[in-house]
Amino acid sequence: MARYAMVIDQERCVGCHSCAVACRSEWDVPVGFARTRVQQTGVQGTMPECSAVFHVAQCNQCERPSCIPVCPTGATWQEPNGIVRINKELCIGCGSCVAACPYGARYINADKGKADKCDFCSDRLTQGLEPACVATCPGKAKIFGDLEDPKSNVFNLVYREGARRIETAQTAIGPNVFYAGKEEHLKMASIAFPPGRSRTIAAVSVWGAVAKKLVMLAVGATFLGQAVAFFHQLRTGEHQFEE
Amino acid sequence: MKNSISRRTFLKAATGAAAISAAAPVAAEVHPPGWRGSTRVQQIATNCEMCIWRCGVMAEVADGKLLKLQGNAHHPLTKGKLCARGNAGVALLNDPDRLKYPQIRTGERGEGKFKRVSWDEALDFFANKLQDIKKKYGPEGVALFPHGVHSGFFSTLMKAYGTPNSAEPAYAQCKGPRDVAYLLTFGRPVNSPEPVDLEESKCIVLIGSHIGENVFTSQVAAFSDGLAKGAKLIVVDPRFSTAASKAHYWLPIKPGTDTALLLAWMNVIITEKLYDKEYLDQYAIGFKELEAHVQQYTPEWAESITEIPAAKIRETAHLMADCRPAVALHPGRHVTWYGNDTQRGRAMAILTALLGAYGRKGGIFLPTKIPQGKIPLPPMPESERSRADRVGSVYPLASEEAQGLTQGLIETTLTGNPYPIKAWVVYGQNIFESIPLPQKTHQAIKNLEFMAVVDVLPMEQTRYADIVLPEATYLERYDPPAVVTTAKRPFISVRQPAVAPMYESKPGWWIAKQMAKRLKLEDYFPWTDPQDHLRRLIAPMKLSETELMSLGAVAFDGKPYIEDRTENDGPLFPTQSGKIELLSSVLKDLNLDALPKYEAVEPPPAGMFRFIYGRAPVHSFSRSENNAWLDDIMPENPVWLNSEVAAQLGMHDGQKVVLENQDGVKSSVITLKTTPGIRKDVVFGVHGFGAQSSSLKKAFQHGFSDNALMSRIAVDPLTGGTGMRVNFVRIHAEKG
Repeated sequence: MARYAMVIDQERCVGCHSCAVACRSEWDVPVGFARTRVQQTGVQGTMPECSAVFHVAQCNQCERPSCIPVCPTGATWQEPNGIVRINKELCIGCGSCVAACPYGARYINADKGKADKCDFCSDRLTQGLEPACVATCPGKAKIFGDLEDPKSNVFNLVYREGARRIETAQTAIGPNVFYAGKEEHLKMASIAFPPGRSRTIAAVSVWGAVAKKLVMLAVGATFLGQAVAFFHQLRTGEHQFEE
Repeated sequence: MKNSISRRTFLKAATGAAAISAAAPVAAEVHPPGWRGSTRVQQIATNCEMCIWRCGVMAEVADGKLLKLQGNAHHPLTKGKLCARGNAGVALLNDPDRLKYPQIRTGERGEGKFKRVSWDEALDFFANKLQDIKKKYGPEGVALFPHGVHSGFFSTLMKAYGTPNSAEPAYAQCKGPRDVAYLLTFGRPVNSPEPVDLEESKCIVLIGSHIGENVFTSQVAAFSDGLAKGAKLIVVDPRFSTAASKAHYWLPIKPGTDTALLLAWMNVIITEKLYDKEYLDQYAIGFKELEAHVQQYTPEWAESITEIPAAKIRETAHLMADCRPAVALHPGRHVTWYGNDTQRGRAMAILTALLGAYGRKGGIFLPTKIPQGKIPLPPMPESERSRADRVGSVYPLASEEAQGLTQGLIETTLTGNPYPIKAWVVYGQNIFESIPLPQKTHQAIKNLEFMAVVDVLPMEQTRYADIVLPEATYLERYDPPAVVTTAKRPFISVRQPAVAPMYESKPGWWIAKQMAKRLKLEDYFPWTDPQDHLRRLIAPMKLSETELMSLGAVAFDGKPYIEDRTENDGPLFPTQSGKIELLSSVLKDLNLDALPKYEAVEPPPAGMFRFIYGRAPVHSFSRSENNAWLDDIMPENPVWLNSEVAAQLGMHDGQKVVLENQDGVKSSVITLKTTPGIRKDVVFGVHGFGAQSSSLKKAFQHGFSDNALMSRIAVDPLTGGTGMRVNFVRIHAEKG
């Protein structure tokens, strides 16, 4: 079974944002949101000893995703190939997953009322195409492939060339987006863009487990549509409560 | 989003095979269903126009609607890669602010009051005005300000009408001096795309070029490949650019002193005998004179001028010599900086020659000609009066074939000297944001009896026009194909409509042909339609039209390196002498400096900074700021200031400031970005922002206009190039 991963070569990346715009176009991502975004550390050091590095962020398709246990409807799930996906029919747009992701990789698509994020362009993969961001990248800074295929570039970069995850002891959930580059640059990116503390990770996992049982009951007992309607109500209520 | 069809929604609704848009003059091959479920998605190959590079694009179209733009993997140069702007072409097509129908001005110039008219009414009005001007002032009384390949049809029209007056910023505000410098030295201009062999280079040298922020996809790919393969990178820039962040040597040079550095590099390479002697013996003339000339320019001398330590100058010279001939010294692109720009370009060309890098792998490669059809036209009318922009007269090396001097046409419009210019046709050019001294441009417009603007978007100049014609975007029209000789494999690539023109917009070829009919100049447009036009051009190329249209491009074998060439390929160095001219015979004959020398530029006065400008990867000049997808990434252009200087001034990152230049011209209010990555004597801003047309709802007053601060220029005496890094600014904190 494949285990899909991406390596982002920070030395090749020139911060041109092609990946971000190709992704917007591919997935109709509304302006103001992103499935892939390009960040920069800003220039550090003192002249002439300066450094700066770009950092491309997206869903990491984690080994132990923090977004799955918190999803009350089971909309977020993981394929055997590691890709974390969202079943848009089941998603109620409650935002639990958005809060649970320490990488800020998810957003609620306001046009559709559903959670959305990168899924390595799963639809394209099934057609033998590369993810849109990989295909368009002028600097060839994004490398996609199978981590279990020793002949793949990602295997080589991760297991032989030292590409590595950006994670912390507190957030060790096995991200499958790896970063390659000079040690100095990897450190800069790790410091500037560490995974956040998932503010819901402890509390919501309990709530999520309860909610999930409810959903399973609902799905098992009656039509999916009713369950969705139910959670729509739940979501509306929640929002009113928050306000 | 409301104006653009949601692709997913659309895909759900669409069934069966989509028919090719009736507007497409050349049917592209219908490909089998793509990955998008059951919908048949057509792939229409064309080339991009979000900037000038013309990358290969595959437009994904279903049922006449554009779904997405992808890079065209068949394109020999760009190989499926597409930058942020290229991807955002979808948002240009769907820009709700587009010019939608022809308009005639009803209010005062600049007021923005127009009435909608039919195309017939608009074109009749336009043609009648041109005939009036011709009667009163002669055809030379009209000046054309075109931009880009699509304006070519209109350029033909205006030549046939009888005016020699046409100028685009691509020359005097961009790469004119560079092309003349390389023409003088090697016998050919650099041209575009620049034939710099970055991917094979062992040492890449960038002088002010900021690849990465300046994004041309194939150039970025070659740059990244070259570096990944181990090329060393030397970046000379007062600012810590993206390229500088990848560099092995970042040399934060004192602005305006680049020629001193280049001369010192030559000094090291010549005095230490590190040059390519065999190459120079075989191909170059003037070495002895050059050797004597550079003795004075020691690294120690250059250190005092450039503020780069002599040891670093030696070290980098040694690095280049170690890597020769695979040294890619990029000739740059926008080079009109200080008014001595042709001579700086000469210094770059000469250094390239010393390293044996011209025509060599990893250096600058040679263009390869490909057979190309010509459409025979009747002779163009001979103008009794010479060009009004002073090409070839005041500026001896600005050639007739060059793209003209915009500022010269504006000056003539202002003064009436040597004769009156009373009408402007502005075709896709942003005259307020791309030509310096915009104050003069505004003034000159007051002298006009007629002004026409053809554009896609309601840019500022449309508000001053008597008539505004809406052009179709590049995704909706046919344009002349790109024939590119400066690629290792020369190629032809096509632009064909992916979708039908939206609203009442029309392609440029149609507008020109319609005008020709009205001006009785139809003989200059002997082709019937785009397909006929293209067929005539590709006739001698011996290629399959079907292949060209479905793949978008066809490449030919190239001969990029000297060793590939035979006598049949023409002279290696088509200069006057047939050799590389280290000492320029043309300049010598003109009694000008035949070898480049260093000339000091005026330093900023106390309390002021030199204002420098450049590019951002997500914007092209002033034309993309209204694009919703690109505005989302970069809605404004913060001004960069050294953080220590900011602290001394009591300013902080993110605060609002106003720039005021030496002539009291103030910028709009802008965000300050403090960084250690810029010299203390300069401030920097990205070019192209600060749109003043309220019809551009995204771009309107986003950021500040760098061009508004260009109230002073230093003109290159050889080419008329307008040096624009001679403006100084003060920074004022904005309260509140």
